[in-house]
Amino acid sequence: MSGSLDRIGAVVVKEFRHLFRDPRAIGIVLLMPVFQLLVFAYAISFDVTHLPTILVDNDHTPASREYLRQYSGSTLFEVVGYSDTQAGVIDAFQANRAQVGVIVPAGFGRQLASGAEGEVAVLIDGSEPTSAKVAQAYTTGLNLAAGQEVALAWADRQGASVSGLGGLEPRLRTWYNPERRSAIFLIPGLMVVIIAIVTVQQTAVSLVRERDLGTAEQLAVSPLRRIELMLGKLLPWTGLAFVDVAAIVVLAVWLFGVPLRGDLAVLGAGAALFVFCCLGMGLVISAVAPSMEVANIASLLLAFLPTFLLSGFVFPLDQIPAVLQWISALFPARYMVAISRGVFLKGSGWDELWPQFAALAAYAALALAAASVLYSRRSR
Amino acid sequence: MARRHPAESRGRHGRAESPVPDAAVCVRGLVKTFGDFTAVGGIDVDVPRGQVFGFLGPNGSGKTTTIRMLTGSVAPTAGHAWVLGEEVTAHPERVRSRIGYMSQKFSLFEDLTVAENLRFYASIHGLEREVFEQRRAWILRMAGLEGREDELTRNLSVGWRQRLALGTATIHSPELLFLDEPTSGVDPVARRRFWDLLYELAEQGITLFVTTHYMDEATHCNRLAFINAGTLIALGTPTELRDSFGPGATLEDVFVGLEEQSRREP
Repeated sequence: MSGSLDRIGAVVVKEFRHLFRDPRAIGIVLLMPVFQLLVFAYAISFDVTHLPTILVDNDHTPASREYLRQYSGSTLFEVVGYSDTQAGVIDAFQANRAQVGVIVPAGFGRQLASGAEGEVAVLIDGSEPTSAKVAQAYTTGLNLAAGQEVALAWADRQGASVSGLGGLEPRLRTWYNPERRSAIFLIPGLMVVIIAIVTVQQTAVSLVRERDLGTAEQLAVSPLRRIELMLGKLLPWTGLAFVDVAAIVVLAVWLFGVPLRGDLAVLGAGAALFVFCCLGMGLVISAVAPSMEVANIASLLLAFLPTFLLSGFVFPLDQIPAVLQWISALFPARYMVAISRGVFLKGSGWDELWPQFAALAAYAALALAAASVLYSRRSR
Repeated sequence: MARRHPAESRGRHGRAESPVPDAAVCVRGLVKTFGDFTAVGGIDVDVPRGQVFGFLGPNGSGKTTTIRMLTGSVAPTAGHAWVLGEEVTAHPERVRSRIGYMSQKFSLFEDLTVAENLRFYASIHGLEREVFEQRRAWILRMAGLEGREDELTRNLSVGWRQRLALGTATIHSPELLFLDEPTSGVDPVARRRFWDLLYELAEQGITLFVTTHYMDEATHCNRLAFINAGTLIALGTPTELRDSFGPGATLEDVFVGLEEQSRREP
């Protein structure tokens, strides 16, 4: 038994030597998580504000200026220029200088003064659907409020008592992420993506490399058993995955103010199961892949892309087509994203998350079983 | 999975005793098929201890498959193989600590240094510290790598890598060393130097089982077996084989002739 531990230890030491000899590997394992965290938390944001806006005033009355001032006064819009024609707005769209154009036609002030409906045109650049949708919502909201004010001012001028007017005003409150910051939504999922990249790709590639070099053949003839080789190979990556998890949790909470409302033990247990799923996937890839290139591409296709696209990390699962939802159920990432988000944001525990835990446990068992079958078949 | 051959299941239970207990290698009716393809078609070979045994044949003749069955990394479809008196399929782990193996790929970790490669293989074999220090000193001297312990293996030229690979394959002082085309891709000077080292090992009493397709290397062996298309077609000392073929024949003539003959009458 102690001989066995010595042999596993020898493999672990060797793996760390490989890692520290290869700057790219260190980058992937230690720097990429930090880099991704910064990119996702700072650069990529779904919080759309400061929409670049072009204003066209063909009316030149106090009423039109008053109306357009509401755009320049808002943080949702950023006035980047003025024009006299609709063609000017389209030019700005073409040149990517603006995403919104507001055109006040001549006669706007006269219409309002007469109590008629004032008409304005709002043009939105639809080439980026997300910002277009947001721009539409903002302009609709702004015009609704502006229209109400115009109506009240008119009623006031007509001598009607404004204070007696009824109305409906919903009081909205957003739970779990009241400011709806995308960092808070993204970081718990990002942790899952990073575990998947570190573990799947590295285990797959490191075992295939051993076979390419012929060292696997050499080791097969040595007293080192296959299970000892596997454990020695997997332990370092498991350890590093947990280092990454810990680093992300610390950065998320201290630097980005992501609330950690649940139990760390639940998160840790989920991460451990998810790591086993990933190691199993990496082993399956390494058993099947004929070369390192194939192993790399396979881990990209089977680990990275589904984790990124089909886990609910970025794109909410209930908004993707049904077929993709079924496919997403075949990969473990979506369950881990649910666990991570549940623990971080909602303070969920075993009671709420047991279906996800069951799914991960089943997946891990299946993947590791498949890997051991494939490996024992290889040696025949 | 294919149904098991009766001989194999007997082998797995390790009941069969070696017919030649003190031979380094004893093979009886060894067969390996991959689907419809017969890589090794039932061979019998005995290699006495202390010999340099040459296992010759063209590419794809079954040399490597035979070695892989003898080292226990591939299970035979049928037949028996005893290595150092142990049935390989029944007790691969008993055999593995006593044999060494070197392939044409040299099997070194290229991003590790000379010293790190030696240390890794020593730990895998569970060498005691004093034994390791001794072996390490011997290997560095043997390979001409003294003072270059901290160089990355990747930066060594082929001849040095080959000798280092021989060193790592023998770090645990095996009784029997399998060498699978150990000199392919190595220049003639380094090859000559390598064979000098093999003789040195043979003098220490280590049995060497070498595959090659270089005929000049075959003359260095005590005994030769020639395999073609998975079948043994000749077995004997270099002199016996030459004499059987006629006066003035070289080993090359013998093997070219035998190969043509076996192709004519399969």
